[in-house]
Amino acid sequence: MDTNKEKTTTNYKNLKIKRKRKTIKQRLHALGHWIFYVTMKFFGHKGAYILLWPVVGSYVIFSKRIHKITQIYLKKRFPNKRCYWLDTFKLVHSFSQVLVDRAWLGLNPKAKFEGKLEGLKTLKKLIAKGKGLILLTAHVGIWQVAFSNLPDLNVPVNVLMHYEEENAAKHYFDLRNQPCPFHIIRNDGFMGGLIEASAALSKGEIVTIMADRYVHGPYARVKFLGYETRVPIGAYMLAAITATPVVVLLTAKTGKTNYLVKIWDVFYPICKNRSKKEQEMQKYAQKFIDALEEYLKIYPYQWYNFYDFWKQ
Amino acid sequence: MNNLETLKNKLKEIIVRDLKLIDVTPEEIDDNAPLFGDGLGLDSLDAVELVVIIQKNFGVQIIDMEEGRKAFESIETLAKFILERQEENS
Repeated sequence: MDTNKEKTTTNYKNLKIKRKRKTIKQRLHALGHWIFYVTMKFFGHKGAYILLWPVVGSYVIFSKRIHKITQIYLKKRFPNKRCYWLDTFKLVHSFSQVLVDRAWLGLNPKAKFEGKLEGLKTLKKLIAKGKGLILLTAHVGIWQVAFSNLPDLNVPVNVLMHYEEENAAKHYFDLRNQPCPFHIIRNDGFMGGLIEASAALSKGEIVTIMADRYVHGPYARVKFLGYETRVPIGAYMLAAITATPVVVLLTAKTGKTNYLVKIWDVFYPICKNRSKKEQEMQKYAQKFIDALEEYLKIYPYQWYNFYDFWKQ
Repeated sequence: MNNLETLKNKLKEIIVRDLKLIDVTPEEIDDNAPLFGDGLGLDSLDAVELVVIIQKNFGVQIIDMEEGRKAFESIETLAKFILERQEENS
C-alpha cells in the first residue's frame, strides 16, 4: 500500500514538473513572438530579418532536434554531402523568413510583396472553359501570401484545408482588416469537404488542394528524391470524377519582398476502373511529385515539411 | 408501385452499376441502411461520384452541405430528397 502511495505521489510530481515545463515553454514562445513583434514595430521588416540570424543560429547550434528533423530531407536532397549544418541553417532560416513575412504583412497593411505569375495565360484559358480546375500545391515557398495575391482570375478560389490552417489563414487576413480572398472548405467537414469542392468545380470555380501531406484515406506510393513515400490521391480522383483539369502550381520566395507563382504541370486524370483507383491514380500522383522534385532542384531550402515525409 | 418506390429501386440499380459495387446486388440494399461507413460502406469519393450521378440521371444538384448530409443518410432519404427537388424544379 505504501509503495503504491509513493508511486502515485511520484507520478503526480512528475506530471506537475511536465506541466510546469510546458507552461515555461509556452511562455518562452509567447516571449519570442513578442520580441519579434516589437522589433518589427520599431525596426520594420529588415529589423526582423536581422534578428533572425542569431535566433536561427542558436537553434542550429544548440538544438539536436532541428538537425534530426531537417536531415531526413537534406540527406535525400543532397546525398553526397558529409555535413549538413549549413544546409540546416539555410532551411530553417528560409522558413523563418516566410513566418516573418506573413507576420509583417499582417501587421503592416501598407506592406506589399511583388509577385510574378508564370503561366497566367494557361490558367485563364483553362478557367474560360468553365469546367473549373483543381490547383495542386504543396507546403513549399510562400503559398499563403502568393495565393492571396493571385491576379484577378474572375472566378472564386476555394481552398480545401484543415482547421488549424484555416485559423491561421483567417487570422492573417483579420490582422490586415481584409476579407479572406479565398473561400475555405474544411477537410474535416461533411465527406471531407469533397462534395462542397465538387459543387464549386461544377460552377466553374477553382479548388486548391495541398497534395503533399498524407493523413488518411486512399493513397498511392510514389518515388520522391529516390525513396518511396505515400501521398493522398483524393485530388486526382475528384478531378477524374468531375472531369476537371489539374494544375500543379508552386510558389517560391525569390527575394526579400518578391515571389514567384509558377505552373509546373497540367494534366487530366482519368479513372477507368474504380476498384483499382490506387493503381490508376499512381501515375498522376507521381507527376505531381516529379514536379515537386524539379522545384526543389531550384529551391532546395523552401521545403517546409518538418517531419519524416517518407514515413507518412 | 408509387414514384418513391420506383425511384428507390432505380437508385439502387444505378449505385451498384455506376459505383461498380461487386459484392452487393440492388435487391440486397436496405432502404434505411446508412450509405456511408457501416451499411453500404461508401466513402467520400463515392459521395462525389454519387453527386455527379444524381445530377446526370435526375437533374438535381446538391449544393447545400446541410441538405446533402441529410439526403445522403440512406436510399430512403436520398429518394425523398430527389423527388422534392424535382417537384420544386417543375
